[in-house]
Amino acid sequence: MPDENKKESRTDMLFGIVKAKYGDRLTDEQLKEVRSGVDGVEDLAVELRKVRLTNAVEPFANFQPYRGADNDE
Amino acid sequence: MNNDFVFTPIRQLAELLKSRQVSPMHLSEIFLDRLEQRGPSYNALTTLTRERALRQAEQAEREISAGDYKGPLHGIPWGAKDLLATSDGIPTSWGAAPFKHQTFDFDATVVRRLEEAGAVLAGKLAMIELAGGMGYRQPTATFTGPPRNPWNRETWTGGSSAGSGAAVAAGLVPFAIGSETWGSILSPANNCGLAGLRPTYGRVSRYGAMALCWTLDKLGPLGLTADDCGLVLEAIAGPDPDDPTAADMTFAYDDSPTEGRRFKIGVLKDVADGAEEPVRENFEKALAAISEVADVEEMEFPEYPYVAAIRTILNVESAAAFEDFIEEGTAAELTAPEDHYGPYARTSVLATDYVKALRIRGVMSREVDGVMSKYDAIAAPTSPRVASPIDEEFRKASPSPGPGDLMGAIGNGCGLPSISVPSGFSDAGLPTGIQFMGRPYQENTILAIARAYQAMTSWHTRHPDDALEG
Repeated sequence: MPDENKKESRTDMLFGIVKAKYGDRLTDEQLKEVRSGVDGVEDLAVELRKVRLTNAVEPFANFQPYRGADNDE
Repeated sequence: MNNDFVFTPIRQLAELLKSRQVSPMHLSEIFLDRLEQRGPSYNALTTLTRERALRQAEQAEREISAGDYKGPLHGIPWGAKDLLATSDGIPTSWGAAPFKHQTFDFDATVVRRLEEAGAVLAGKLAMIELAGGMGYRQPTATFTGPPRNPWNRETWTGGSSAGSGAAVAAGLVPFAIGSETWGSILSPANNCGLAGLRPTYGRVSRYGAMALCWTLDKLGPLGLTADDCGLVLEAIAGPDPDDPTAADMTFAYDDSPTEGRRFKIGVLKDVADGAEEPVRENFEKALAAISEVADVEEMEFPEYPYVAAIRTILNVESAAAFEDFIEEGTAAELTAPEDHYGPYARTSVLATDYVKALRIRGVMSREVDGVMSKYDAIAAPTSPRVASPIDEEFRKASPSPGPGDLMGAIGNGCGLPSISVPSGFSDAGLPTGIQFMGRPYQENTILAIARAYQAMTSWHTRHPDDALEG
Protein backbone atom coordinates (compact mmCIF):
# COMPACT_ATOMS: atom_id res chain seq x y z
CA MET A 1 0.00 0.00 0.00
CA PRO A 2 2.77 2.51 0.77
CA ASP A 3 4.23 1.78 -2.69
CA GLU A 4 0.84 2.36 -4.25
CA ASN A 5 0.55 5.69 -2.39
CA LYS A 6 4.02 6.64 -3.55
CA LYS A 7 3.07 5.83 -7.14
CA GLU A 8 -0.12 7.85 -6.84
CA SER A 9 1.74 10.87 -5.56
CA ARG A 10 4.34 10.60 -8.34
CA THR A 11 1.55 10.35 -10.91
CA ASP A 12 -0.11 13.43 -9.37
CA MET A 13 3.16 15.33 -9.49
CA LEU A 14 3.92 14.40 -13.11
CA PHE A 15 0.36 15.04 -14.18
CA GLY A 16 0.59 18.44 -12.49
CA ILE A 17 3.53 19.34 -14.73
CA VAL A 18 1.74 18.17 -17.88
CA LYS A 19 -1.40 20.05 -16.85
CA ALA A 20 0.59 23.21 -16.16
CA LYS A 21 2.18 23.02 -19.60
CA TYR A 22 -0.81 22.00 -21.71
CA GLY A 23 -3.92 22.20 -19.53
CA ASP A 24 -5.23 25.36 -21.14
CA ARG A 25 -5.74 23.60 -24.46
CA LEU A 26 -7.44 20.47 -23.11
CA THR A 27 -11.00 19.82 -21.96
CA ASP A 28 -11.76 18.25 -18.57
CA GLU A 29 -12.53 14.98 -20.34
CA GLN A 30 -9.23 15.08 -22.21
CA LEU A 31 -7.35 15.92 -19.01
CA LYS A 32 -8.89 12.85 -17.41
CA GLU A 33 -7.51 10.76 -20.27
CA VAL A 34 -4.10 12.43 -19.96
CA ARG A 35 -4.10 11.66 -16.21
CA SER A 36 -4.77 8.03 -17.06
CA GLY A 37 -1.96 8.14 -19.63
CA VAL A 38 0.48 9.53 -17.07
CA ASP A 39 -0.59 6.75 -14.72
CA GLY A 40 0.32 4.27 -17.48
CA VAL A 41 3.72 5.92 -17.96
CA GLU A 42 4.33 5.59 -14.24
CA ASP A 43 3.29 1.90 -14.33
CA LEU A 44 6.01 1.29 -16.91
CA ALA A 45 8.56 3.20 -14.84
CA VAL A 46 7.74 1.14 -11.74
CA GLU A 47 8.61 -2.01 -13.73
CA LEU A 48 11.88 -0.51 -14.92
CA ARG A 49 12.91 0.62 -11.45
CA LYS A 50 12.61 -2.92 -10.13
CA VAL A 51 15.54 -4.01 -12.31
CA ARG A 52 18.89 -3.70 -10.53
CA LEU A 53 21.83 -2.91 -12.80
CA THR A 54 25.46 -2.52 -11.93
CA ASN A 55 27.22 0.79 -12.42
CA ALA A 56 29.01 -0.60 -15.47
CA VAL A 57 25.85 -1.18 -17.50
CA GLU A 58 25.70 1.56 -20.09
CA PRO A 59 22.75 2.76 -22.17
CA PHE A 60 22.46 0.74 -25.37
CA ALA A 61 22.95 3.71 -27.64
CA ASN A 62 26.07 4.48 -29.58
CA PHE A 63 27.62 7.89 -29.46
CA GLN A 64 30.55 8.58 -31.71
CA PRO A 65 32.48 11.84 -31.82
CA TYR A 66 31.95 13.47 -35.17
CA ARG A 67 34.82 14.70 -37.24
CA GLY A 68 34.16 16.01 -40.69
CA ALA A 69 36.59 15.98 -43.60
CA ASP A 70 39.75 18.05 -43.10
CA ASN A 71 39.96 21.22 -45.13
CA ASP A 72 42.61 21.20 -47.83
CA GLU A 73 44.75 24.18 -47.27
CA MET B 1 -11.83 -4.27 -64.57
CA ASN B 2 -8.74 -6.02 -65.93
CA ASN B 3 -7.66 -8.82 -63.61
CA ASP B 4 -4.76 -10.01 -65.78
CA PHE B 5 -1.55 -10.54 -63.85
CA VAL B 6 -3.28 -9.73 -60.56
CA PHE B 7 -2.04 -11.88 -57.66
CA THR B 8 0.95 -13.03 -59.68
CA PRO B 9 4.10 -13.27 -57.55
CA ILE B 10 7.03 -11.03 -58.49
CA ARG B 11 9.21 -13.84 -59.83
CA GLN B 12 6.53 -14.83 -62.36
CA LEU B 13 5.82 -11.25 -63.36
CA ALA B 14 9.56 -10.74 -63.81
CA GLU B 15 9.79 -13.70 -66.19
CA LEU B 16 6.93 -12.29 -68.26
CA LEU B 17 8.58 -8.87 -68.38
CA LYS B 18 12.06 -10.16 -69.07
CA SER B 19 10.85 -12.38 -71.91
CA ARG B 20 8.78 -9.45 -73.23
CA GLN B 21 5.52 -11.39 -73.06
CA VAL B 22 4.15 -8.39 -71.21
CA SER B 23 5.38 -4.82 -71.32
CA PRO B 24 6.06 -2.60 -68.29
CA MET B 25 3.64 -0.02 -69.72
CA HIS B 26 0.82 -2.53 -70.03
CA LEU B 27 1.44 -3.94 -66.56
CA SER B 28 1.65 -0.48 -65.04
CA GLU B 29 -1.56 0.66 -66.67
CA ILE B 30 -3.41 -2.36 -65.28
CA PHE B 31 -2.27 -1.67 -61.73
CA LEU B 32 -2.68 2.11 -62.02
CA ASP B 33 -6.28 1.60 -63.13
CA ARG B 34 -6.92 -0.86 -60.31
CA LEU B 35 -5.40 1.51 -57.76
CA GLU B 36 -7.40 4.44 -59.09
CA GLN B 37 -10.72 2.62 -59.37
CA ARG B 38 -10.58 0.28 -56.38
CA GLY B 39 -8.13 1.98 -54.04
CA PRO B 40 -10.70 4.45 -52.67
CA SER B 41 -13.19 1.68 -51.85
CA TYR B 42 -10.65 0.28 -49.37
CA ASN B 43 -9.40 3.74 -48.31
CA ALA B 44 -6.02 2.39 -49.39
CA LEU B 45 -4.78 5.18 -51.62
CA THR B 46 -3.50 8.63 -50.76
CA THR B 47 -2.06 9.72 -54.10
CA LEU B 48 -1.96 7.99 -57.47
CA THR B 49 1.43 8.69 -59.06
CA ARG B 50 0.37 7.96 -62.64
CA GLU B 51 2.63 10.46 -64.37
CA ARG B 52 5.76 9.28 -62.61
CA ALA B 53 4.74 5.63 -63.03
CA LEU B 54 4.26 5.93 -66.77
CA ARG B 55 7.58 7.72 -67.10
CA GLN B 56 9.34 4.94 -65.18
CA ALA B 57 7.45 2.22 -67.08
CA GLU B 58 8.37 3.76 -70.41
CA GLN B 59 12.00 3.84 -69.36
CA ALA B 60 11.82 0.21 -68.19
CA GLU B 61 10.30 -0.73 -71.52
CA ARG B 62 13.14 0.93 -73.41
CA GLU B 63 15.78 -0.68 -71.22
CA ILE B 64 14.33 -4.19 -71.37
CA SER B 65 13.87 -3.92 -75.13
CA ALA B 66 17.50 -2.89 -75.43
CA GLY B 67 18.58 -5.93 -73.41
CA ASP B 68 19.47 -3.86 -70.35
CA TYR B 69 17.51 -5.96 -67.85
CA LYS B 70 18.10 -4.80 -64.28
CA GLY B 71 16.63 -7.73 -62.35
CA PRO B 72 13.39 -9.08 -60.91
CA LEU B 73 11.84 -5.72 -60.00
CA HIS B 74 12.40 -4.17 -63.41
CA GLY B 75 9.04 -2.94 -64.65
CA ILE B 76 7.11 -4.09 -61.56
CA PRO B 77 4.63 -1.57 -60.09
CA TRP B 78 4.68 -0.96 -56.34
CA GLY B 79 3.11 1.25 -53.68
CA ALA B 80 4.82 3.34 -50.99
CA LYS B 81 3.49 3.94 -47.51
CA ASP B 82 2.85 7.65 -47.48
CA LEU B 83 5.64 8.38 -45.05
CA LEU B 84 8.35 7.97 -47.68
CA ALA B 85 9.48 11.25 -49.18
CA THR B 86 8.91 11.60 -52.91
CA SER B 87 9.98 14.39 -55.24
CA ASP B 88 8.08 15.58 -58.35
CA GLY B 89 5.57 17.49 -56.19
CA ILE B 90 3.95 14.26 -55.03
CA PRO B 91 2.57 14.91 -51.51
CA THR B 92 3.86 12.95 -48.53
CA SER B 93 1.11 13.27 -45.95
CA TRP B 94 2.30 10.97 -43.15
CA GLY B 95 -1.39 10.00 -43.01
CA ALA B 96 -2.14 13.18 -41.08
CA ALA B 97 -4.45 16.02 -42.06
CA PRO B 98 -2.01 18.77 -40.95
CA PHE B 99 0.58 17.38 -43.42
CA LYS B 100 -1.86 16.66 -46.23
CA HIS B 101 -0.11 18.97 -48.70
CA GLN B 102 3.47 18.42 -47.51
CA THR B 103 6.02 17.91 -50.29
CA PHE B 104 9.73 17.15 -50.44
CA ASP B 105 12.27 17.87 -53.13
CA PHE B 106 14.02 14.52 -52.82
CA ASP B 107 13.21 10.82 -52.79
CA ALA B 108 13.65 8.63 -49.74
CA THR B 109 16.54 6.22 -50.18
CA VAL B 110 14.12 3.29 -50.46
CA VAL B 111 12.19 5.07 -53.23
CA ARG B 112 15.44 5.84 -55.02
CA ARG B 113 16.73 2.28 -54.69
CA LEU B 114 13.54 0.81 -56.07
CA GLU B 115 13.73 3.22 -58.99
CA GLU B 116 17.32 2.12 -59.60
CA ALA B 117 16.08 -1.49 -59.60
CA GLY B 118 13.61 -0.48 -62.32
CA ALA B 119 10.45 -0.70 -60.22
CA VAL B 120 7.51 1.57 -61.04
CA LEU B 121 6.01 3.75 -58.28
CA ALA B 122 2.25 3.51 -58.82
CA GLY B 123 0.97 5.27 -55.73
CA LYS B 124 1.40 6.58 -52.22
CA LEU B 125 -0.60 4.38 -49.85
CA ALA B 126 -2.77 5.35 -46.92
CA MET B 127 -1.54 4.93 -43.37
CA ILE B 128 -2.55 5.62 -39.81
CA GLU B 129 -1.77 9.22 -38.94
CA LEU B 130 1.86 9.71 -37.94
CA ALA B 131 2.26 5.91 -38.01
CA GLY B 132 0.16 5.65 -34.88
CA GLY B 133 2.69 7.67 -32.92
CA MET B 134 0.10 9.68 -31.01
CA GLY B 135 -1.44 6.61 -29.40
CA TYR B 136 -4.42 5.87 -31.68
CA ARG B 137 -6.92 3.24 -30.59
CA GLN B 138 -9.14 2.87 -33.67
CA PRO B 139 -8.91 2.27 -37.43
CA THR B 140 -10.46 5.65 -38.21
CA ALA B 141 -7.23 7.41 -37.17
CA THR B 142 -6.34 8.73 -40.62
CA PHE B 143 -7.65 11.55 -42.78
CA THR B 144 -8.15 9.14 -45.69
CA GLY B 145 -10.83 7.14 -43.86
CA PRO B 146 -10.66 3.79 -42.08
CA PRO B 147 -8.58 1.35 -44.17
CA ARG B 148 -10.88 -1.51 -45.15
CA ASN B 149 -9.71 -5.11 -45.30
CA PRO B 150 -10.25 -6.75 -48.72
CA TRP B 151 -11.19 -9.99 -46.94
CA ASN B 152 -14.12 -8.22 -45.33
CA ARG B 153 -14.61 -4.50 -45.73
CA GLU B 154 -16.25 -4.27 -42.33
CA THR B 155 -12.95 -5.28 -40.73
CA TRP B 156 -9.66 -3.48 -40.36
CA THR B 157 -6.47 -4.00 -42.34
CA GLY B 158 -4.25 -3.59 -39.30
CA GLY B 159 -1.81 -0.72 -39.07
CA SER B 160 -0.11 1.50 -39.32
CA SER B 161 0.94 0.34 -42.84
CA ALA B 162 -2.76 -0.06 -43.52
CA GLY B 163 -2.95 0.98 -47.17
CA SER B 164 0.14 -1.10 -47.94
CA GLY B 165 -1.69 -4.16 -46.60
CA ALA B 166 -4.99 -3.41 -48.32
CA ALA B 167 -3.41 -2.57 -51.67
CA VAL B 168 -1.41 -5.80 -51.93
CA ALA B 169 -4.27 -7.96 -50.59
CA ALA B 170 -6.70 -6.42 -53.10
CA GLY B 171 -4.30 -6.88 -56.01
CA LEU B 172 -3.86 -3.15 -56.54
CA VAL B 173 -0.06 -3.43 -56.56
CA PRO B 174 2.21 -6.50 -56.63
CA PHE B 175 4.09 -5.31 -53.54
CA ALA B 176 4.30 -2.38 -51.16
CA ILE B 177 6.70 -0.87 -48.68
CA GLY B 178 5.57 -0.39 -45.09
CA SER B 179 7.27 0.69 -41.90
CA GLU B 180 7.31 -0.81 -38.45
CA THR B 181 8.12 0.77 -35.13
CA TRP B 182 6.13 -1.83 -33.21
CA GLY B 183 3.83 -4.07 -35.25
CA SER B 184 3.11 -1.88 -38.27
CA ILE B 185 4.30 -4.35 -40.93
CA LEU B 186 3.37 -7.60 -39.20
CA SER B 187 -0.12 -6.43 -38.20
CA PRO B 188 -1.36 -5.69 -41.75
CA ALA B 189 0.40 -8.85 -43.00
CA ASN B 190 -1.61 -10.79 -40.42
CA ASN B 191 -4.96 -9.12 -41.03
CA CYS B 192 -4.68 -9.06 -44.82
CA GLY B 193 -3.27 -12.57 -45.31
CA LEU B 194 0.07 -11.41 -46.75
CA ALA B 195 3.77 -11.96 -46.34
CA GLY B 196 5.29 -9.07 -44.43
CA LEU B 197 8.97 -8.76 -43.60
CA ARG B 198 10.23 -6.59 -40.78
CA PRO B 199 13.98 -6.40 -41.45
CA THR B 200 16.70 -6.13 -38.85
CA TYR B 201 16.94 -2.58 -37.48
CA GLY B 202 19.43 -0.75 -39.70
CA ARG B 203 19.19 -3.23 -42.58
CA VAL B 204 17.26 -0.69 -44.67
CA SER B 205 18.02 3.03 -44.74
CA ARG B 206 15.31 5.22 -43.25
CA TYR B 207 16.53 8.38 -44.95
CA GLY B 208 13.51 10.29 -46.17
CA ALA B 209 11.07 8.29 -44.06
CA MET B 210 9.05 10.04 -41.35
CA ALA B 211 10.81 9.51 -38.03
CA LEU B 212 8.62 8.21 -35.24
CA CYS B 213 11.23 6.54 -33.02
CA TRP B 214 14.82 6.78 -34.17
CA THR B 215 15.93 3.56 -32.50
CA LEU B 216 12.86 1.48 -33.41
CA ASP B 217 11.78 2.47 -36.95
CA LYS B 218 12.30 -0.04 -39.77
CA LEU B 219 11.17 -0.16 -43.41
CA GLY B 220 10.22 -3.42 -45.12
CA PRO B 221 8.12 -5.09 -47.79
CA LEU B 222 4.61 -6.51 -47.87
CA GLY B 223 4.02 -8.99 -50.70
CA LEU B 224 2.15 -12.09 -51.75
CA THR B 225 4.89 -14.51 -50.73
CA ALA B 226 8.03 -14.78 -48.65
CA ASP B 227 9.97 -14.98 -51.90
CA ASP B 228 8.54 -11.61 -52.97
CA CYS B 229 9.77 -10.12 -49.70
CA GLY B 230 13.27 -11.49 -50.24
CA LEU B 231 13.46 -10.06 -53.75
CA VAL B 232 12.34 -6.63 -52.55
CA LEU B 233 14.61 -6.63 -49.51
CA GLU B 234 17.66 -7.23 -51.69
CA ALA B 235 16.80 -4.11 -53.68
CA ILE B 236 16.23 -1.79 -50.73
CA ALA B 237 18.83 -2.97 -48.17
CA GLY B 238 22.35 -1.70 -47.74
CA PRO B 239 24.52 1.04 -46.31
CA ASP B 240 23.55 4.66 -46.81
CA PRO B 241 25.70 7.67 -45.89
CA ASP B 242 22.47 9.64 -45.41
CA ASP B 243 21.34 7.34 -42.57
CA PRO B 244 23.99 6.75 -39.92
CA THR B 245 21.94 3.90 -38.43
CA ALA B 246 22.00 1.94 -41.71
CA ALA B 247 24.25 -1.09 -41.23
CA ASP B 248 27.45 -1.14 -43.22
CA MET B 249 26.57 -4.35 -45.03
CA THR B 250 24.80 -5.37 -48.18
CA PHE B 251 22.13 -8.04 -48.40
CA ALA B 252 22.15 -10.74 -51.05
CA TYR B 253 18.93 -12.72 -51.06
CA ASP B 254 19.63 -16.45 -50.89
CA ASP B 255 16.74 -18.03 -52.75
CA SER B 256 18.30 -21.45 -53.02
CA PRO B 257 15.87 -24.35 -52.57
CA THR B 258 15.20 -25.39 -48.99
CA GLU B 259 14.82 -29.09 -49.78
CA GLY B 260 17.09 -31.13 -47.58
CA ARG B 261 17.54 -28.34 -45.04
CA ARG B 262 16.39 -28.96 -41.49
CA PHE B 263 15.71 -26.02 -39.23
CA LYS B 264 15.49 -25.61 -35.49
CA ILE B 265 12.55 -23.56 -34.31
CA GLY B 266 11.77 -22.40 -30.80
CA VAL B 267 8.25 -21.75 -29.60
CA LEU B 268 7.81 -19.51 -26.61
CA LYS B 269 6.06 -21.36 -23.79
CA ASP B 270 2.32 -20.60 -23.71
CA VAL B 271 2.70 -18.17 -26.61
CA ALA B 272 -0.77 -18.94 -28.00
CA ASP B 273 -2.54 -18.78 -24.65
CA GLY B 274 -5.10 -16.03 -24.73
CA ALA B 275 -5.20 -15.99 -28.52
CA GLU B 276 -8.53 -16.36 -30.28
CA GLU B 277 -9.50 -19.93 -31.05
CA PRO B 278 -8.87 -19.87 -34.83
CA VAL B 279 -5.49 -18.24 -34.26
CA ARG B 280 -4.49 -20.90 -31.72
CA GLU B 281 -5.78 -23.78 -33.86
CA ASN B 282 -4.11 -22.55 -37.03
CA PHE B 283 -0.87 -21.92 -35.17
CA GLU B 284 -0.82 -25.51 -33.90
CA LYS B 285 -1.51 -26.81 -37.40
CA ALA B 286 1.23 -24.58 -38.78
CA LEU B 287 3.70 -25.94 -36.23
CA ALA B 288 2.71 -29.50 -37.18
CA ALA B 289 3.35 -28.65 -40.84
CA ILE B 290 6.66 -26.93 -40.22
CA SER B 291 7.86 -29.85 -38.10
CA GLU B 292 8.24 -31.73 -41.41
CA VAL B 293 11.30 -29.59 -42.04
CA ALA B 294 12.20 -28.39 -38.55
CA ASP B 295 12.80 -29.58 -35.03
CA VAL B 296 10.36 -27.60 -32.94
CA GLU B 297 10.88 -27.16 -29.21
CA GLU B 298 9.41 -25.09 -26.44
CA MET B 299 11.63 -22.36 -25.03
CA GLU B 300 11.54 -19.32 -22.77
CA PHE B 301 13.19 -15.93 -22.72
CA PRO B 302 14.74 -14.67 -19.48
CA GLU B 303 12.52 -12.42 -17.37
CA TYR B 304 12.87 -8.72 -18.15
CA PRO B 305 10.35 -5.90 -18.34
CA TYR B 306 10.54 -5.99 -22.15
CA VAL B 307 7.24 -4.26 -22.77
CA ALA B 308 7.90 -1.56 -20.16
CA ALA B 309 11.39 -0.81 -21.50
CA ILE B 310 10.43 -0.60 -25.16
CA ARG B 311 7.15 1.23 -24.50
CA THR B 312 9.10 3.82 -22.49
CA ILE B 313 11.61 4.29 -25.32
CA LEU B 314 8.74 4.62 -27.80
CA ASN B 315 6.95 7.15 -25.60
CA VAL B 316 10.01 9.36 -25.25
CA GLU B 317 11.29 9.19 -28.81
CA SER B 318 7.87 9.79 -30.38
CA ALA B 319 7.26 12.78 -28.10
CA ALA B 320 10.70 14.15 -29.01
CA ALA B 321 10.32 13.47 -32.75
CA PHE B 322 7.11 15.49 -32.76
CA GLU B 323 8.08 18.03 -30.10
CA ASP B 324 7.22 21.13 -32.14
CA PHE B 325 4.01 19.54 -33.40
CA ILE B 326 2.97 18.79 -29.82
CA GLU B 327 4.08 22.12 -28.35
CA GLU B 328 2.21 24.07 -31.02
CA GLY B 329 -1.00 22.17 -30.31
CA THR B 330 -1.25 20.82 -33.86
CA ALA B 331 -2.28 17.41 -32.52
CA ALA B 332 -5.77 18.89 -32.16
CA GLU B 333 -6.01 18.85 -35.97
CA LEU B 334 -5.52 15.09 -36.21
CA THR B 335 -8.45 12.84 -37.12
CA ALA B 336 -8.75 10.49 -34.13
CA PRO B 337 -10.04 12.19 -30.96
CA GLU B 338 -7.58 10.20 -28.81
CA ASP B 339 -4.67 11.56 -30.87
CA HIS B 340 -5.65 15.12 -29.85
CA TYR B 341 -4.43 14.48 -26.29
CA GLY B 342 -2.46 11.23 -26.70
CA PRO B 343 1.03 12.71 -26.91
CA TYR B 344 0.85 14.84 -23.75
CA ALA B 345 1.20 12.02 -21.22
CA ARG B 346 4.33 10.89 -23.04
CA THR B 347 6.09 14.11 -22.14
CA SER B 348 5.96 13.06 -18.48
CA VAL B 349 8.60 10.30 -18.69
CA LEU B 350 11.52 11.07 -16.39
CA ALA B 351 14.95 11.18 -18.01
CA THR B 352 16.35 8.62 -15.59
CA ASP B 353 13.56 6.19 -16.49
CA TYR B 354 14.33 6.62 -20.19
CA VAL B 355 18.03 5.99 -19.64
CA LYS B 356 17.16 3.00 -17.47
CA ALA B 357 15.10 1.63 -20.37
CA LEU B 358 18.11 2.07 -22.67
CA ARG B 359 20.36 0.27 -20.20
CA ILE B 360 17.90 -2.59 -19.84
CA ARG B 361 17.65 -2.75 -23.61
CA GLY B 362 21.36 -3.60 -23.83
CA VAL B 363 21.11 -6.32 -21.20
CA MET B 364 18.01 -7.83 -22.75
CA SER B 365 19.44 -7.72 -26.28
CA ARG B 366 22.47 -9.73 -25.18
CA GLU B 367 20.38 -12.21 -23.17
CA VAL B 368 17.83 -12.65 -25.95
CA ASP B 369 20.57 -13.23 -28.51
CA GLY B 370 22.09 -15.87 -26.24
CA VAL B 371 18.78 -17.75 -26.26
CA MET B 372 18.14 -17.19 -29.95
CA SER B 373 21.58 -18.44 -30.95
CA LYS B 374 20.23 -21.95 -30.27
CA TYR B 375 17.52 -21.57 -32.93
CA ASP B 376 17.06 -20.63 -36.55
CA ALA B 377 13.86 -18.83 -35.61
CA ILE B 378 11.26 -18.35 -32.92
CA ALA B 379 7.72 -19.01 -34.14
CA ALA B 380 4.58 -17.38 -32.76
CA PRO B 381 1.14 -16.29 -33.88
CA THR B 382 1.65 -12.93 -35.58
CA SER B 383 -1.33 -11.53 -33.70
CA PRO B 384 -3.53 -13.07 -31.02
CA ARG B 385 -6.59 -12.18 -33.05
CA VAL B 386 -7.99 -11.89 -36.54
CA ALA B 387 -8.90 -8.53 -38.04
CA SER B 388 -11.12 -6.54 -35.70
CA PRO B 389 -14.33 -4.78 -36.75
CA ILE B 390 -13.71 -1.50 -38.53
CA ASP B 391 -15.69 0.49 -35.95
CA GLU B 392 -14.11 -1.10 -32.88
CA GLU B 393 -11.40 0.31 -30.63
CA PHE B 394 -8.87 -2.46 -31.16
CA ARG B 395 -6.76 -1.74 -28.11
CA LYS B 396 -9.71 -2.27 -25.80
CA ALA B 397 -10.58 -5.47 -27.63
CA SER B 398 -7.07 -6.95 -27.61
CA PRO B 399 -6.12 -9.45 -24.92
CA SER B 400 -3.59 -7.39 -23.00
CA PRO B 401 -0.91 -7.77 -21.88
CA GLY B 402 -0.50 -10.76 -24.16
CA PRO B 403 2.19 -12.97 -25.61
CA GLY B 404 1.94 -11.05 -28.88
CA ASP B 405 3.08 -7.96 -27.04
CA LEU B 406 6.07 -9.87 -25.70
CA MET B 407 7.17 -10.97 -29.19
CA GLY B 408 6.63 -7.42 -30.42
CA ALA B 409 8.58 -5.90 -27.55
CA ILE B 410 11.48 -8.33 -27.86
CA GLY B 411 11.53 -8.28 -31.65
CA ASN B 412 11.36 -4.52 -32.06
CA GLY B 413 13.31 -3.74 -28.90
CA CYS B 414 16.22 -5.95 -29.92
CA GLY B 415 15.94 -4.96 -33.59
CA LEU B 416 15.26 -8.53 -34.76
CA PRO B 417 13.92 -9.45 -38.19
CA SER B 418 10.61 -11.26 -38.43
CA ILE B 419 8.44 -12.46 -41.27
CA SER B 420 4.71 -13.11 -41.09
CA VAL B 421 2.96 -15.41 -43.55
CA PRO B 422 -0.66 -16.60 -43.55
CA SER B 423 -1.38 -19.69 -41.44
CA GLY B 424 -5.04 -20.22 -42.30
CA PHE B 425 -8.44 -18.60 -41.92
CA SER B 426 -11.13 -18.24 -39.30
CA ASP B 427 -14.65 -19.60 -39.90
CA ALA B 428 -15.57 -16.04 -40.85
CA GLY B 429 -12.97 -16.13 -43.63
CA LEU B 430 -10.43 -13.84 -41.98
CA PRO B 431 -6.72 -14.68 -42.25
CA THR B 432 -4.45 -15.66 -39.38
CA GLY B 433 -0.67 -15.38 -39.45
CA ILE B 434 2.44 -17.12 -38.16
CA GLN B 435 5.66 -15.20 -37.65
CA PHE B 436 9.23 -16.48 -37.74
CA MET B 437 11.62 -14.20 -35.87
CA GLY B 438 15.37 -14.51 -36.30
CA ARG B 439 18.65 -13.20 -34.94
CA PRO B 440 19.90 -9.86 -36.27
CA TYR B 441 20.85 -9.96 -39.98
CA GLN B 442 19.41 -13.47 -40.33
CA GLU B 443 16.75 -12.54 -42.89
CA ASN B 444 17.87 -15.28 -45.26
CA THR B 445 17.20 -17.93 -42.63
CA ILE B 446 13.71 -16.76 -41.74
CA LEU B 447 12.91 -16.26 -45.42
CA ALA B 448 14.00 -19.86 -46.09
CA ILE B 449 11.78 -21.15 -43.27
CA ALA B 450 8.82 -19.11 -44.52
CA ARG B 451 9.39 -20.33 -48.08
CA ALA B 452 9.57 -23.93 -46.85
CA TYR B 453 6.30 -23.41 -44.96
CA GLN B 454 4.64 -21.83 -47.98
CA ALA B 455 5.82 -24.72 -50.17
CA MET B 456 3.82 -27.04 -47.91
CA THR B 457 0.70 -24.90 -47.58
CA SER B 458 -1.56 -23.00 -49.94
CA TRP B 459 -2.95 -20.20 -47.74
CA HIS B 460 -0.96 -17.61 -49.66
CA THR B 461 -2.62 -18.65 -52.92
CA ARG B 462 -6.08 -17.64 -51.65
CA HIS B 463 -7.24 -14.15 -52.43
CA PRO B 464 -10.34 -12.15 -51.56
CA ASP B 465 -13.23 -12.68 -54.03
CA ASP B 466 -13.99 -9.02 -53.51
CA ALA B 467 -10.75 -8.05 -55.23
CA LEU B 468 -11.57 -9.82 -58.49
CA GLU B 469 -15.24 -8.89 -58.83
CA GLY B 470 -16.61 -6.15 -61.02
